[in-house]
Amino acid sequence: MIRILLLIFLCISTVSALAAQDSYAFESVERQTRFNNLTEVLRCPMCQNQNIADSDAMISHDMRRKVYQLLQDGKTDQEVIDYMKARYGDFVYYEPPVTAGTIWLWILPALFALIATVVVLKRRKPKPDTDMAAKLVRADEILQKDKSS
Amino acid sequence: MKKTWLVVIPVVLFSLIAGFLYLGLFSDPRELDSQITGRPLPSFTLPDLMEPEKQYTPESLAGEVTILNVWGVWCVTCAVEMPYLTQLKEEKGVKFVGLYFDQDLDPDNGTKTLNRVQQEVSALLSRYGNPYAFNIFDTYRDTSLDLGVTGAPEHFVIDKKGIVRMHHVGDINERVWRNKIEPLYRKLTQGSATGADS
Repeated sequence: MIRILLLIFLCISTVSALAAQDSYAFESVERQTRFNNLTEVLRCPMCQNQNIADSDAMISHDMRRKVYQLLQDGKTDQEVIDYMKARYGDFVYYEPPVTAGTIWLWILPALFALIATVVVLKRRKPKPDTDMAAKLVRADEILQKDKSS
Repeated sequence: MKKTWLVVIPVVLFSLIAGFLYLGLFSDPRELDSQITGRPLPSFTLPDLMEPEKQYTPESLAGEVTILNVWGVWCVTCAVEMPYLTQLKEEKGVKFVGLYFDQDLDPDNGTKTLNRVQQEVSALLSRYGNPYAFNIFDTYRDTSLDLGVTGAPEHFVIDKKGIVRMHHVGDINERVWRNKIEPLYRKLTQGSATGADS
C-alpha cells in the first residue's frame, strides 16, 4: 500500500519537472532562481493562460531562451519584463498595470464591499418597540388572572 | 420613492452586466494589441534563406511598400495562402518578402540542416507558387520575437520609410485583403508617391 502511494506521489511530483525541458546552465543558484521566477510570471502570448515556464509552445521556448540570454547579459528582472512588454504588450506579464481601464478591477470590489456594509448596517437597526412596557403589563394581568381563577 | 429605486437599480445593473457580457461574446481572447505598429522595423542583420552569404538589414526593405510575411514549411495555413499571395504579386504587383523561421531547426540543439530546409522550401514554393521577392532567414527567431510574432502566418505591412503600419495575424485571403489590407496598401502606395501622408 505504502509503495503504491509512494509511486503515485512520485508521478505527481515529476509533472512540474517535466513541463519545461530546456537545459540551461546557470553560474549561480541565485540566477537560476531569478530565471525560474521570471518564467513563471511571464505569460505565453499564444496560449490560454499559461506561463512560459509551463508551456511547450515554440514561442515559449523562444521566450525562455531570451530570458536566459538577457539574464546572462546582466539585465535586471524589471528590464527583462520590460523587454517582453515592449514586444508583446502588457498581456505578457501576469501583473496588470493600473490604467484608466484596469483601475476598475480594484475600485469595483472595494465599492461593492462599501455599499454592502452600508446596506447591512442600515438594516440592522432594531425596531424601537415602544409598546413593550404596555405588553408586559398586559401579560402580567393575564398571568394574575390565570392564577386567581 | 424608495420603491422606484428598488426597481431601477437592479434593471440598470442587469443591463450593464448584460451589455458587458454581450460584448465579450465577440471579443477574441487571442487578439493582442500589436506593439510594433507605428514603429520602425527592429534592427537586424540576417542572411538570405537560399543564399546565406547574402545579408539583409531593415534598409533592404526601404523605398517600397512591402508586406513581410512570417512563415515556415511546417505551417499549413501558410501553404494554403501561398497561391493567393502569388496571385496578388502577379496581378497587383504586391511586394512580398518572407521572414522564414523553422520550427525544427532548433538553434541550440539542431536536428535539421539548412540544406534540408532549403530543399523543403523549394519544393513547397514550386508546388504552390512563389510570392516572395526574397526570403530572410530568421535563424534564431530573434527578429520574430522583436516583431511580437506568436506564430505563423503573420503579416506586417511596411511603408516606404520602413515603418510598420499593420500587423495582421493569420492568413491573407480574398476577404481579408479586400476589407483590411488593400485600403491601407492603396493609401501607402499612392500617398507617399505624391509626398503626402505619413
